[in-house]
Amino acid sequence: MTRIEVVDLAVRYGDTTAVDSVSFAIAPGELVTLLGPSGCGKTTTLRAIAGLETPHSGSIHLNGDTVWSARPKRNIPAEKRGVSMVFQSYAIWPHMTVFENVAYGLRVRGTSAADIRDNVARVLDMVQMGAYADRPSSNLSGGQQQRVAVARAIAFSPTVVLFDEPLSNLDAKLRAEMRVELRELQRRLDITSLYVTHDQEEALAISDRVIVMNGGRIEQIGSPEDIYNRPVSRFVADFVGSANMIEGHVTSVNGDGSLVFQTNAGSLIHAAAGKRDSTTLALRSSYIHLRPDEANTIAGTIHRRMFHGDFIQYVIDWPDGQLIVRRPPTELLEEGSAITVSFAPEYCVLL
Amino acid sequence: MRDLRVWIVPILLLVVGALVLYPLAFLITESLNIGDPQIFPPEEWGAGNYLELIQEPRVIGNTLLVASIATVLAVLFGFIQAWILTRTQIPGRDRLERLMELPYYMTPLIGALAWGVLLGPKTGLGNQAWRAFGFNSDFFNIYSPQGIAWVMALFEGTVAFVMISAAMKSMDPSLEESSRVLGAGKLRTALRITLPMVAPGVLSATIFVFAEMLGSFAAAFVLGIPGRFYVVTTAIWESTLSYPPDYGHAAAMGLSLSGAMVVTLGLARVIMRHGSYATITGKAFRPRPMEVGALRYPLMGIAWGYIVVAVILPLAALTLTSFQKFATVIIPQMQFTLANFRTAFSLGSIGPAFANSMILGVSVSTLGVPVIGVLAWIIYRTTMPGRVLMEYVVMIPQAVPRLVFGLGLLWAWINIPIPLYGTLWLLGIAYFTVFLPLGLRTIAGVVLQVDKSLEECARVCGASWLQQMRTVTLPLLRPGLVAAWLLIFIASVRELGVSVFLMGPNSKVIAPSIVSSWLSASSELSAAMALLQTVMVFIAVAILFRVARTVTGAPG
Repeated sequence: MTRIEVVDLAVRYGDTTAVDSVSFAIAPGELVTLLGPSGCGKTTTLRAIAGLETPHSGSIHLNGDTVWSARPKRNIPAEKRGVSMVFQSYAIWPHMTVFENVAYGLRVRGTSAADIRDNVARVLDMVQMGAYADRPSSNLSGGQQQRVAVARAIAFSPTVVLFDEPLSNLDAKLRAEMRVELRELQRRLDITSLYVTHDQEEALAISDRVIVMNGGRIEQIGSPEDIYNRPVSRFVADFVGSANMIEGHVTSVNGDGSLVFQTNAGSLIHAAAGKRDSTTLALRSSYIHLRPDEANTIAGTIHRRMFHGDFIQYVIDWPDGQLIVRRPPTELLEEGSAITVSFAPEYCVLL
Repeated sequence: MRDLRVWIVPILLLVVGALVLYPLAFLITESLNIGDPQIFPPEEWGAGNYLELIQEPRVIGNTLLVASIATVLAVLFGFIQAWILTRTQIPGRDRLERLMELPYYMTPLIGALAWGVLLGPKTGLGNQAWRAFGFNSDFFNIYSPQGIAWVMALFEGTVAFVMISAAMKSMDPSLEESSRVLGAGKLRTALRITLPMVAPGVLSATIFVFAEMLGSFAAAFVLGIPGRFYVVTTAIWESTLSYPPDYGHAAAMGLSLSGAMVVTLGLARVIMRHGSYATITGKAFRPRPMEVGALRYPLMGIAWGYIVVAVILPLAALTLTSFQKFATVIIPQMQFTLANFRTAFSLGSIGPAFANSMILGVSVSTLGVPVIGVLAWIIYRTTMPGRVLMEYVVMIPQAVPRLVFGLGLLWAWINIPIPLYGTLWLLGIAYFTVFLPLGLRTIAGVVLQVDKSLEECARVCGASWLQQMRTVTLPLLRPGLVAAWLLIFIASVRELGVSVFLMGPNSKVIAPSIVSSWLSASSELSAAMALLQTVMVFIAVAILFRVARTVTGAPG
């Protein structure tokens, strides 16, 4: 059984198509991320599932029930869909206390006062906001508002929680902390979640599966490792992580399926697998060594070195232009020195 | 529910459209009537009424003269105040900035009465004192074009202040700082950076104030009529009084005046939108105030001077006058009395005028705010078809001077067989119509401030539309609704332009009663009435400020 199923969804505003033939399914307990640049249709898709946006065609099913479909016409209003949502702006009601905010979903469902008290106390403790229950909500910090918004979204035990860029308004350090907490909470309560973000690092870190979107369409669906190691398009390779795009063509295919790719400047690169007709080879910056210890080796010089702390980024001059290489901060080499770059055929992705 | 949503826009459009457009349609037909002005519909059509206007350039000249002097003064006041209060470090700056709203609530009518009491020929308190010092003539005769312009300028000064200080505040201080860092001196920075950035704001304020001045009525009415000095608005008023009343002439004049105002205001808006670099971000900065050193006390004096001249001095003059039998500043001659206030409450037609104004103020705002609230919600929160048209229709009364709109309403309601003319009902309908733009702007400000996701979140949490309205939308809009209620109440209580035409013997209201008492009875009695009206308005303003503070300030 699937919790969320989206079939052939299209959303239009006048003449512009914001979402086009989008289909995917999410299993119970899964955390799936919609990842893409702004304007790619990820938030629109999320809002259509919540019932805040009226699609043009296709259908949306929650827990096996059709909540929206174009034909036959069916549209369950947002409040009857039983989903919950954490908004990008948090949408904490400033005229209510923290307690009242969190209790809202239970109150409109006519839950008894005692149950409301217990439930609100339980979820506020979960997000470490137990001490703030009676505070007015209008002077909470960004991180506190975020926690209250999450508590409010899970308080009435929804089957599905939608997250609309919930961490994008927090500073980097807090964002990294909240990421861990959200994932913990999601695993502990086994909440089926659909999560929208434009931050590829965040998407890879917290998801079971990632859906990469571009221009209203899905580019790729896969586990974070899949998306990172085996991008199916230039867009995915470029948008997720740091990759070098090397132009050229395939010259020969071996019996085991491995190929030889000749770059425009004439260097030969062995790739473990791929399409015969591809003209671009994507190579992750982190998978390139600055020593000749892998199968593909090419000579180059270090043009520039930038120390980032967690890694060092090198810009390497080589026959085809420049390569971006990321090495651990322990591998310190001087600018101008001649080196040999090397990389394994398994990490050469032909697009 | 579904049916209601389908019908609500057409119904509202029809009602609001009728209220707004019907009087204007009457005005237009009447302006083209060159036959007997008393007959409707007209028997002879033509442009004669418009051609007549050109033949009497004196009134137009007077209007331009007063408007020009007043605009120059108002912009000067506004610019100086804006510069001192946004760009210099004077003590008590924040309080002064708040006080700068008060002259706006004084109204041109109260200002004109007060300055009439202060500098009226011979009997004016200031002129009395001047003569007591041994001079043989008046210090200044306020019953003059310059006098009218002075009173108007004090009032419009706050409008110019608000617009110019907005331009000064929206300027990113780093623009000036980078000029200084790149090596330009203070003066060069002021001339090459600051001035060009602020100039569009000042220019559009100038044009805006000028347009408002063209349509202003009260000051010219109170200070111009005694000396038979007419501007366009008072000439409109005058031609409806002649016998037979020349409504065609008045209508042509009124429409030409609105046309001139619409064009001028449009120009101001274009300059504001296209010429202004500073407002592009819409972000408010607090420019770093200049170190003015020892100059800060004189500057503070200048800033306070405006408040004193525009608010404190006029109120003091009215107070001093209203408690005397014969107004004087020569202490041995003073005879204090409460008789004026007693008369104000008891006099046959004046006592009821206060009651009527209260009734109108309370009922127009109480009935108007929910209706305008629904309008604002439809216009700014839904995607219903027709909402853009609705916004235009609702904002039309703003483009027509109150007096001209009153004329249209008068002519419209005399000519239809529903006996509303001369009743409070008609005044109520008229007030509601002319205050539509005020109400819509106030409520829209809050509607637009409420983040849409606050409402959406309620729906996703499981609340129905009605629950969402009750628990989230209305509580969040409440401060805006209360503010709109108070603003409409204040505007109703001091309304003059529409009321002078629509008031009947049994439906007197305050402002026109004060004027007629001023023109026909004693200035001491008028001062007492004016003071009472001001007290009503200022009580409402005090509540308004409290409400405004709870909206913007900390919770609680």
